[in-house]
Amino acid sequence: MKLRLLVLVLIPFLASAATPAERAIVRAEKAVEQNAERPEAYNELATALARRARETADPEYYVRAHRALDKSFALAPDNFEGRKARAWVLLGQHEFAKALEIAKALNRQVPDDVLVYGLLTDAHMELGNYKDALESVQWMLDMRPGNVPGLTRAAYVREAIGYLDGAIEFMTQAFQRTNHSEVEDRAWILTQMAHLHLATGKVREAERLAGQALELFPGYHYALAQMAKVRAADGKHAEAVELLSKRYDAAPHPENLFDLAAALDRAGRKQEAQAAFREFEEKARRESAGWDNANRELISYYVDFARKPAAALEIARVEIARKQDVHTLDAYAWALAANGRHAEAWTQIEKALKVGVKDARIYYHAGAIASKLGDRAAAARKLLAALGAPRLVSQRGATLEPSRGQKER
Amino acid sequence: MKRARPILAVALALVAAFPPAFFAANHREAPITALDRLADIADYFAFVSYDDPNKVTFILTVDPLLEPSNGPNYFPFDPEILYEIKIDNNSDAREDVTFQFRFTTEVRAPGVFTAFVGALGGIPAPASSPAPIAPGTPLIPRAITSLDGPGAAGMVVRQNYTVTMVKGNQRTELGPEITKYAVPSNVGPRTMPDYPALYREGICNLGDGVKVWAGTADDPFWIDLGAAFDSINFRTTGFLAPGVLSPEQDADDTRNFAADDVSGFNVNVIAIEVPIGLINRVGTRLPASHPAATIGTWGTTSRPRVKVQPVQPGGPAGLSENWVQIQRMANPLFNELIIGTGSKDRFSMSHPKDDAQFASFALDPLLARVFNAVYAVLLGNPDAVRIPPPPRTDLLPLVQYTALHAALGGTPTGDIPGGPVADLLRLNTGIAATPKASRKRMGLLAGDRAGFPNGRRVGDDVTDIAARAVAGVLAGPPYNGFPHNRIGDGVNVNDVPYPETFPYVAPALSGRDSRHVDPGEPGGGPVQ
Repeated sequence: MKLRLLVLVLIPFLASAATPAERAIVRAEKAVEQNAERPEAYNELATALARRARETADPEYYVRAHRALDKSFALAPDNFEGRKARAWVLLGQHEFAKALEIAKALNRQVPDDVLVYGLLTDAHMELGNYKDALESVQWMLDMRPGNVPGLTRAAYVREAIGYLDGAIEFMTQAFQRTNHSEVEDRAWILTQMAHLHLATGKVREAERLAGQALELFPGYHYALAQMAKVRAADGKHAEAVELLSKRYDAAPHPENLFDLAAALDRAGRKQEAQAAFREFEEKARRESAGWDNANRELISYYVDFARKPAAALEIARVEIARKQDVHTLDAYAWALAANGRHAEAWTQIEKALKVGVKDARIYYHAGAIASKLGDRAAAARKLLAALGAPRLVSQRGATLEPSRGQKER
Repeated sequence: MKRARPILAVALALVAAFPPAFFAANHREAPITALDRLADIADYFAFVSYDDPNKVTFILTVDPLLEPSNGPNYFPFDPEILYEIKIDNNSDAREDVTFQFRFTTEVRAPGVFTAFVGALGGIPAPASSPAPIAPGTPLIPRAITSLDGPGAAGMVVRQNYTVTMVKGNQRTELGPEITKYAVPSNVGPRTMPDYPALYREGICNLGDGVKVWAGTADDPFWIDLGAAFDSINFRTTGFLAPGVLSPEQDADDTRNFAADDVSGFNVNVIAIEVPIGLINRVGTRLPASHPAATIGTWGTTSRPRVKVQPVQPGGPAGLSENWVQIQRMANPLFNELIIGTGSKDRFSMSHPKDDAQFASFALDPLLARVFNAVYAVLLGNPDAVRIPPPPRTDLLPLVQYTALHAALGGTPTGDIPGGPVADLLRLNTGIAATPKASRKRMGLLAGDRAGFPNGRRVGDDVTDIAARAVAGVLAGPPYNGFPHNRIGDGVNVNDVPYPETFPYVAPALSGRDSRHVDPGEPGGGPVQ
């Protein structure tokens, strides 16, 4: 009897221990059970599953989300909320061009839907259409000043154009306005704030924020990555390896393995690093042809570690044909430079810099390319910018020490 | 096969944070303004001044349905809002002349609990006054009899405003030497024993023939709002079917046959009267036949924009001098009744020059189809209110210059640009005001060429005009006969007479003494 009572008492706590996405899935599945003929129920389920995909980094949830949406469309072809959810899931799967197409159609149909502007912003950002992204996200803030989805995206855009303090400002506002029960959302925002603080050299603040994110959402893979960057910035490479290892366990994706391999390399665990790089290459190559890939990391691997510049350029060409965001431009430029095509490399990296992005890795690459072109003044400027802007840790955790590939040129 | 995009889950997780768009009440046409009522434009009027054919009066009303008794703060204008009246004088749907209004609030006695207080010649603390306030100490100021000076001692909160005229890059503050006070709401007879005097004192002559007035006034609009938005559930006015007026009712511009739901409410008003030569492109009043005699005009409210992009690359963004437009209004009921709910915010935030994107709403209004369906049921005849097929070119007078000219009888001569399809309130300034005795509430539909849609006067029955126009009366036979030409909500006149001179809106209703005329009450028509 006592045991039963204990169980009964514990049930609410167990229920509350579920993540927001898990709770949303339970609610949506119940709604589907009770209203199997309502497309809205399947749309809710798809949305909940996609949220869970972010929480866990498990792509299987996207597959299930699509299945739920198929049922929704079978009941109500082309229903608006279903198409919104479809675009969202496609963004999650990195199918940016398809998502953009849907989002544009949705925007034409209902220009007042604020979240559709969010879908547009995301797709434009990933494809490198920064002007369009800026316009879309400005609409979000104009239509509903202070809305959280608009603030987080506006922060993302501000970061891309190099306005890091402004990005922190918006992200902080977003955090303050997010419901306390949305722990994963809050952890995600804290992680982004940690990333931005790292980018402005505030390592201790980044550490505090990443720590808060991990307290809110234990084992959160995004937060583990930020904490690893903090440790790397402190020179604690062994701890960084441990954190990235945990992250890879939670989210076993090639790009996460690349980060782990690079950290192992920095930690002096060369053999383990080599093994990890080999595994990474194999996994990354398998999915290289799709939109959802680790091609940027693969390019970096071929240039900086594996000394295979031709392979890097081959992949970079495929990737740049798809999207022209600053990081893809940088990767392409770096691959061109590795193949001795420095003038073309400069053209590409200049495009990235013109967006305004302030990223140590990109500055460093620009400086190195300028140096190869014999423009010592530009090289000095870019390298100084690399040293002056962010901490010596780029978004992917690379150091500013000349990489192996660079040393060899 | 892996990544989970970061930002989007935050976005869609918060869907519930946004209220769904809804079919809003008359004065809150778009969701964005339903959330920001201070920036919500209630109505917009533009007409040749009744007492001076050389001048035009523009009236912008905002912050609708103000309950006169709603103290202690009553209804200040928002100093954060930029209020604008815009005029296109060359038929391109872009503003050529703009009048901007900005308000400043003074809190003159922060310790007092209400915005307005006063009685008699002032009331001192009585002999029984407990310490520390000694008997005889002035306690309640004298009644408010003026907007400034000793008679304004009881105005704990007071607003003044600036008026700036913008022509191209040229900005001119009008009457900079004159302090322009906004007229407060009418609190009641003890506090404001001669409210009409305050109302009159609010009229400011800025020189060069320009007058302005701003403050709280009787809401000049009238409509059976509840019936209109109850899916066109008009009251039974005793003739054939609800929402169809008898010839006698239709001809009576002095009585109501249904309740004016705006009766007893105030609204905040900005009015400006300017010489026609100041705003047209020629510089002097022109005859009606002159192409430049016709202007297009609209009002807007805007708030400072939080810009994503820094003003200076790499510099702080934050609040900039750029503004985000919250609302605009030209033709009455256009956003409410024509624009689809999913596009209302976009419409509010867009500019007339870009209105081609909304042309499909204007040229095939859903409201017409609703009339068609509702009256088929009411009159038991699917052909009861036949509507013209789309595209509804008969509605072009609302959105094109040339069509308005045609509707007016082709007044201008020469090459008249039609301009783009745009929601502008178009006014031929060469057509003088119609004398009161022959003024018709149905405006142009009743042959009164100085009435809507040639501009809009405060007394034009835009509800009935718009309803009949949407039903097809402008399309000619068979759409211009009965019952199309008798559709009406049964509210034919305002609850308060309008003044015949600037600012043309009646003084604010008393907070203490005013009342609303509801259905079933004398003057309020039937409940059903």
